[in-house]
Amino acid sequence: MGNLLEHMGIERDRVHFSWISSAEATKFVDVVKEISDKVKGLGLNKKFVKDYN
Amino acid sequence: MNTCIKKIRELSADLLEKGEVEKVIGFAKGTIPMATSPIAIQKKQDVNKLVFNSTCGLNLANYVSKGKGKIAVVTKGCDDRNIVTHIVENQIQRDQIYIIGVPCTGMVDKPKIAALFEDEILEFSEDNDTLTVSSLLKTQTLKKQDYLKGNCFYCTHKNPVLYDVLAADLVEEQKLDNLFPDVDQIETLDEDAKWNHFENLTKNCIRCYACRNACPLCYCPTCFVDESDPQWVGKGQDKTDVNTFHFLRAFHCAGRCTDCGACVEACPMGINVRDFTRKLNKDVLQLFGWEAGLDMIKRPPLDTYRPEDPDDFIK
Amino acid sequence: MSENKIKITSFLCNWCSYGAADLAGVSRMQYPADIRVIRIPCTGRMSPKFILSALREGADAVWVSG
Repeated sequence: MGNLLEHMGIERDRVHFSWISSAEATKFVDVVKEISDKVKGLGLNKKFVKDYN
Repeated sequence: MNTCIKKIRELSADLLEKGEVEKVIGFAKGTIPMATSPIAIQKKQDVNKLVFNSTCGLNLANYVSKGKGKIAVVTKGCDDRNIVTHIVENQIQRDQIYIIGVPCTGMVDKPKIAALFEDEILEFSEDNDTLTVSSLLKTQTLKKQDYLKGNCFYCTHKNPVLYDVLAADLVEEQKLDNLFPDVDQIETLDEDAKWNHFENLTKNCIRCYACRNACPLCYCPTCFVDESDPQWVGKGQDKTDVNTFHFLRAFHCAGRCTDCGACVEACPMGINVRDFTRKLNKDVLQLFGWEAGLDMIKRPPLDTYRPEDPDDFIK
Repeated sequence: MSENKIKITSFLCNWCSYGAADLAGVSRMQYPADIRVIRIPCTGRMSPKFILSALREGADAVWVSG
């Protein structure tokens, strides 16, 4: 999935996959922080948004 | 090529006469020069309508899944791989089809030839590697090799993989060092350039869905573009909707596409739809060592789990 | 909504990450409030069209977690 989107020019970090067990609350928090930081670095998604106006 | 047509006709007549098959699906001469259309022959006296030449760019595997009785089908290398895919995906049983395999020497790029002429092409004929095309203004002799369709140019499976009978001798397969130079070229671009490339590619799309209808892989009873509740993709010409359609269509072909070029052949706006599917073909080959439609027994990569499957994209 | 506020659409498996999110919540752990959670019965329910749909409707990123 990520490969094709990247090929089309959508930043790889816009799509994330992870594997977290229900007992891994710490991992959950870490992953949320990591993803959030990465996406903040990218800024808003402007390419692939439908403009309803 | 003519001996091959003769053979196809003989075989079809024989099959129909013996009642072995209900109908023969093949190509017939089109209504304009340099065109062929699919045809289903049910009577023996009609077999002379069948032809085969370098303009048979559509994929006949598209038509096999809809029949009930046993049918015969004329297949090129790529059509044949699509039939194998159909069998793997349980769309048809092996004993329901009789395959007349035609080793293929490539199909011609019609728009490319048409671009050489200012007026309408009135006649098209071929003799092995030479094409003769004429219009009112001029007649031109072309080398077929220079006017092959993009997918035929990189084709390494010209011969059918699965057949009951062959209509001609097997041809030599070409060996290529790099199967995907076009994909590699796009990969060297930066993100914005890639995005622009695909924006430009789809900007002429009129959402006619000819690419979907010509594709033998697209047999879903309700296509995601026709679903309205929930509506996954808008129906209009909005560029995000157009891109969503093309991206998703490509994903649905992952690990199944045989790069037959029927989508490009069918596109009325001349969009190179293969730019989308080629990337996935390359990925599937690199990640799973898989090319669609070569094996009836192996399950496709998106259908199976193996512990050694690449998973470095998961955190 | 301010200009630089991002939205991450998260598809969380009921049995794995959704449970983890719940545990993180009851444990009062702090994490960024940028995610919008959608609970799916299993990650096997995911489809590429969910991801494209989310992006198309304005998500800045999509996160799938099993």
